[in-house]
Amino acid sequence: MSGGPPKALPSTGPHSLRDMPHPLAGSSSEEAVGGDSTPSPDLLTARSFGDKDLILPNGGTPAGPASPASSSSLLNRLQLDDDIDGETRDLFVTVDDPKKHVCTMETYITYRITTKSTRVEFDLPEYSVRRRYQDFDWLRNKLEESQPTHLIPPLPEKFVVKGVVDRFSEEFVETRRKALDKFLKRITDHPVLSFNEHFNVFLTAKDLNAHKKQGMALLTRVGESVKHVTGGYKLRSRPLEFAAIGEYLDTFALKLGTIDRIAQRIIKEEIEYLVELREYGPVYSTWSALEGELAEPLEGVSACIGNCSTALEELTEDMTEDFLPVLREYILYSDSMKSVLKKRDQVQAEYEAKLEAVALRKEERPKVPADVEKCQDRMECFNADLKADMERWQNSKRQDFRQLLMGMADKNIQYYEKCLMAWESIIPLLQEKQEAK
Amino acid sequence: MEQAPPDPERRLQPAPLEPLGHPDAGVESVVGEEAEGARDEGPGDGTMTENNFWLKKIEISVSEAEKRTGRNAMNMQETYTAYLIETRSVEHIDGQSVLTDSLWRRYSEFELLRNYLLVYYPHIVVPPLPEKRAEFVWHKLSADNMDPDFVERRRIGLENFLLRVASHPILCRDKIFYLFLTQEGNWKETVNETGFQLKADSRLKALNATFRVKNPDKRFTELKHYSDELQSVISHLLRVRARVADRLYGVYKVHGNYGRVFSEWSAIEKEMGDGLQSAGHHMDVYASSIDDILEDEEHYADQLKEYLFYAEALRAVCRKHELMQYDLEMAAQDLASKKQQCEELATGTVRTFSLKGMTTKLFGQETPEQREARIKVLEEQINEGEQQLKSKNQEGREFVKNAWADIERFKEQKNHDLKEALISYAVMQISMCKKGIQVWTNAKECFSKM
Repeated sequence: MSGGPPKALPSTGPHSLRDMPHPLAGSSSEEAVGGDSTPSPDLLTARSFGDKDLILPNGGTPAGPASPASSSSLLNRLQLDDDIDGETRDLFVTVDDPKKHVCTMETYITYRITTKSTRVEFDLPEYSVRRRYQDFDWLRNKLEESQPTHLIPPLPEKFVVKGVVDRFSEEFVETRRKALDKFLKRITDHPVLSFNEHFNVFLTAKDLNAHKKQGMALLTRVGESVKHVTGGYKLRSRPLEFAAIGEYLDTFALKLGTIDRIAQRIIKEEIEYLVELREYGPVYSTWSALEGELAEPLEGVSACIGNCSTALEELTEDMTEDFLPVLREYILYSDSMKSVLKKRDQVQAEYEAKLEAVALRKEERPKVPADVEKCQDRMECFNADLKADMERWQNSKRQDFRQLLMGMADKNIQYYEKCLMAWESIIPLLQEKQEAK
Repeated sequence: MEQAPPDPERRLQPAPLEPLGHPDAGVESVVGEEAEGARDEGPGDGTMTENNFWLKKIEISVSEAEKRTGRNAMNMQETYTAYLIETRSVEHIDGQSVLTDSLWRRYSEFELLRNYLLVYYPHIVVPPLPEKRAEFVWHKLSADNMDPDFVERRRIGLENFLLRVASHPILCRDKIFYLFLTQEGNWKETVNETGFQLKADSRLKALNATFRVKNPDKRFTELKHYSDELQSVISHLLRVRARVADRLYGVYKVHGNYGRVFSEWSAIEKEMGDGLQSAGHHMDVYASSIDDILEDEEHYADQLKEYLFYAEALRAVCRKHELMQYDLEMAAQDLASKKQQCEELATGTVRTFSLKGMTTKLFGQETPEQREARIKVLEEQINEGEQQLKSKNQEGREFVKNAWADIERFKEQKNHDLKEALISYAVMQISMCKKGIQVWTNAKECFSKM
């Protein structure tokens, strides 16, 4: 913990990003924590907005103790704002309008990203740029680097097996577009990630490649500090709550994997069923050609089966395009979450090791050295961020799956309704009394 | 057959006619809807003739099946199924019935009955028996003749066969049929004593006739073509239907896996748990619903199979016609050649080759007395031939008339039955869709509560 007394954060007001020190900044001063508005020399580089430096919508001074742990209380405040649907939203991002670009070296798809915002971080109220998948990939990597204590949403799978899936088919592009849109919206909804400088650049820069080249400069202090926590430290035991999260994620990923396999199997069986139906229906037509009085009824049955086949084809397409990708995304999500958990373990392990080392050195009195405190801050910040993100993740997971599964049920209901209509409509045809020829 | 078991109410409508196979055969037959009347509701006609064995309206049912063991003709032990046939006579209009006969028969005896009917009523489209061995099965269905589901479906098929025979205006009056239902012991001997096996046309003869006949009635040629096509298309339909059933079974059953995984997943969830768990239950219900659905569909398949086998019966009538026609053509040809021979002998000119003529040339002329004798013999033969030809022609015409009447009756029956079958199939599909909507709606509600 910092040596200074907890102080309230100064009223921040419109401010350049570059002026705000991050609580985890590796400064030699013990007063690094707190809203010190004079930038120390090594903080001139732009950094990402830390939890403490958030501009509150009403511009007021946040009450409450200004310690690293208070970042989560800030978060809570903001989360309340999130719940008021759209009213206090000040950032809207959409992904649409996929276009194919054919160049000499390669062919690829770009998507239009439209941003509307009243935030001061954006110079203009509206932006429209074009990005391709590898730009999204770059963004995600940057976010992971610069915000290692947070859960970064997943991207749709990078590689597709050529020949099996047509990368340029309408269905594939649309599926990807939806996933990319979801990716950006998740970041938009995140109170910390949405203020990330890389995100801003992604949304606004005319030439992203130029920015990519100077990428190193945008790495935040947090990123730096956590990045330096490399292996070598072994965690003795995960705290209960994080162990629980870890176990949950393991089982969750397992169950999702099973559901993915079941869903794929169902689609496979349905396609095989469809193949047989496509042969079945026409046989009634063939029969109809032999008959007199029965010709119309048999032809009717043939047409009916044809309609059911079409309905079934639509069902399998929907499930393939809408259901499976979301499932896969969540599996990727939980995988990346598990790595964040491991990083957290690393930070804790370093702290505990350093603490232990100090305890063994009999020279020091109860005074705790600065770098151990730094480790402790780091760890507690990480824990707070992670816990907050987990809670947020659990909520949106619940919404997402509710929607996903209800969607699955809906598609099946629609399929049966189409078939029902087809069969009910031929009953009168079958019952028709033919007049004597 | 709409659904199993068929309506046991089968009042016999005795029509005033004689079975053609009997020595005192009549010539006219009554056709049309009223002869089919035994299938519809309606008061029984009280007309009786001396060959009407059914003095009252009757109900026939094959009510039970039982596994038996016995010794066969080679004195080896065998297992077979016996079926209980019960005949009830309906005493009053209000349907009070009294059990008049009850006996056990096995499948081979049904076959014997049918073979007898085929021989004695060649102009009738004889109702078929249910299949001897299970065919067109989809994987879950057993091909084993002893399988209880197969036995059950066969029981229904045999009952259907008896009802069809009993409601046929001509076949119902047959004595052997009557004895089949009433005389348990000794029936086999009685049938065999009719010597019907000897009267049967050989397949070889029939095949020969089919190829060589010159002038068959066009309608029969068309009918034969139709029955070939019908057989082909229904076989194809049944084969594909079996594959469709197989696939549908797979789709439903895999959904059952959702039940288990949702349950396991719900264990680690707090708010989502209940919704997932109950949704999983609905997936189990969905998966298990397919068994009943497909069982019902087997009845539809059986209805199609009956008409698949009926196609064979139609062909049999056509074959008989071809045989008779060929016979007629051969007799006419024979007569013509004899006439020619006679003429040649009388005029002394030899236009046609004859062995006698040849040998006469080689070994010397015959005497005028010899020639006279030969002419006389030929003239007798020609006379006989002309009589035979006349009666063969008559028989042929009778056959065509009566067969065509029964074929018309059959066509009406076929159109009616198959329409009913298609309607019941559509109803089954509608029921399946409604169940599907119900289950998924329930599941959706559970998901909404997650």
